[in-house]
Amino acid sequence: MSGFRLDIAFRRPHLALDVLLEIPPGLTLLLGPNGAGKTTLLRLLAGLEKPDDGTITSNDRTLFDAARGICLPPSQRRIGLLFQHLALFPHLDVRDNIGFGLRAQGIGKVERERSIAAIVARFALEPHIDKPVAALSGGERQKVALARTLAARPDVLLLDEPTATLDQENRWRFRAWLAEILAEWKVPTLMVTHDPADAASFRKRIVVLEGGRICQRGSFHQLLHAPATPFVADFAGVNFISGTIGTDNGATIFTSAAGTRLQAPFELSRSGPACLTVLPWEIALYRELPEGSPRNVVEGTVRDAIVLGDRVRVTLLGREKLVAEISLRGYQAMGQPGRGATLFAAFKAREARVENV
Amino acid sequence: MSGSGWLFRFGMLLAAGFIALLILLPLFSLLLYADPARQLALLRSDETLAALRVTLTTSLLATGAIFVTGLPTAFAISRFNRKWRQLVDSLLELPMVLPQIVAGLALLLAFGRNGIFGRVLSAWGMQIPFSTAAVVLAIIFVLAPFFIRRTAVLFDQVDHELEEAAQLLGAGPFFGFRHVTLPLCRRPLIAEAIMVFLQSIGLFGAVILFAGNIPGRTRTLTLAIFDAFESNPEVAFALAALLLLVSLLLVLAGRLLLRNLDGGGK
Repeated sequence: MSGFRLDIAFRRPHLALDVLLEIPPGLTLLLGPNGAGKTTLLRLLAGLEKPDDGTITSNDRTLFDAARGICLPPSQRRIGLLFQHLALFPHLDVRDNIGFGLRAQGIGKVERERSIAAIVARFALEPHIDKPVAALSGGERQKVALARTLAARPDVLLLDEPTATLDQENRWRFRAWLAEILAEWKVPTLMVTHDPADAASFRKRIVVLEGGRICQRGSFHQLLHAPATPFVADFAGVNFISGTIGTDNGATIFTSAAGTRLQAPFELSRSGPACLTVLPWEIALYRELPEGSPRNVVEGTVRDAIVLGDRVRVTLLGREKLVAEISLRGYQAMGQPGRGATLFAAFKAREARVENV
Repeated sequence: MSGSGWLFRFGMLLAAGFIALLILLPLFSLLLYADPARQLALLRSDETLAALRVTLTTSLLATGAIFVTGLPTAFAISRFNRKWRQLVDSLLELPMVLPQIVAGLALLLAFGRNGIFGRVLSAWGMQIPFSTAAVVLAIIFVLAPFFIRRTAVLFDQVDHELEEAAQLLGAGPFFGFRHVTLPLCRRPLIAEAIMVFLQSIGLFGAVILFAGNIPGRTRTLTLAIFDAFESNPEVAFALAALLLLVSLLLVLAGRLLLRNLDGGGK
């Protein structure tokens, strides 16, 4: 069986993990609230921490087996870990960073240079190859870090919140690029995130780690429709509209399956099937149709309004189902619209995100 | 409020001025004492040259030995768990606060002809006390703990994630140490080595007790100064000025070396 399999237990006073997971080739997303042990789980798999019990196998190679007393050191696991803060070697230039793994593994100079050249070309890093890593931008550093990890030819790839340190715009660019790269490398990949937009973007295989256990697994769609825990429900609260990107009188427009026409930043997408996401707190609610506004407006009736502290989460049903999260004060100022009230949900084009599917 | 700020600044200035005076005045007096003609004549004497030779060779040997053995030791200490770390740190403190005279006596008891280890050595026909090797050994004994302690702190400061990243890329412990940890500490490590070398030049108490004061063999510049001070104080002052100049030159050379390292790229 190809793939990565783990069944481990790890107990510490502040954290207990009990995780059974199979990661097939391709991307699996690991979600979980802060403090759920996501990073610890990655460290356990990489061999930087030792589980108390269980087994870890990679393509039928045993990396860890508590019963048989097997625990391979990190250097022999052939696991690539992309650290959240990248951990690029500050004393080496881009070329030597990327070539580090091959050199450490004793690969000869000729073959090493060939491998570096190939991956540098694929990642479009040629202009930076002789630069010290400190001279690179955030996005470039991320590319170098992933190039360095992949150049070492790992059997498994672990990504620790790779989008966390990027700004919003670069995040979407990085996701699209990462999807492309992973499609080529085809190694089992586990990506940790707590960004709902990551889940909306890579939505095929998601596992949720909560309270030290995998509490749910499935597609983003499944999580959206049947959240197993409040965390998943919250997380999946991101509005998700499927439709198509097309042109109308020369202007690009997103049309939902139900026919709603919406504006969004289209620079990174092309015509065809797509999905649009917008976060609940980026939606404003109005009693009347807001006039003269360049924003996207969707009409709906209130299904429910739930007070969460000083915020109110309002679910609107209409042509689209939308969840908006507004301040309690704003909700009261509107006269606390209840079930059945008609409201208009508005959000700016640039707050929506579109992705081709 | 601004009044007390003024007072604080004045206090700082006063303290700094006092310390500067206390340190610079004697050094300046010694430099003034250095008369080029006399220094040159002194440098030409075989005795001085022999003392200088002994000083530099033993200091270099000791620095090398401390560097080669202290580096891995410090790295091991830096990677110890907390409990062991505290124990080792206290163990290192002991020789650090030990008076050099006591250190010299302890060395004699261990390596002297009737010492614990000395007996084994003399059975093989070897004798350490009152040899050049004894000077080197005394320097190592006194200075290695300082070097190890400071270097361990250097290694503590290396970002752990970088070492982990190296391991995950397939690097064994030595490869990671050699290609990540060591280069990251290169500059401060060289500064530490220079510091050890400079300190070893001036060592006295442990050396004179354990190695004696034999011209051409164990008589370093400091011992020569001590010797001259009893018979011919004028020579002692001249030698002291010479030692000050040598130290000054070495400090400057060290600075230059470190600056070149900075400019030298990677």
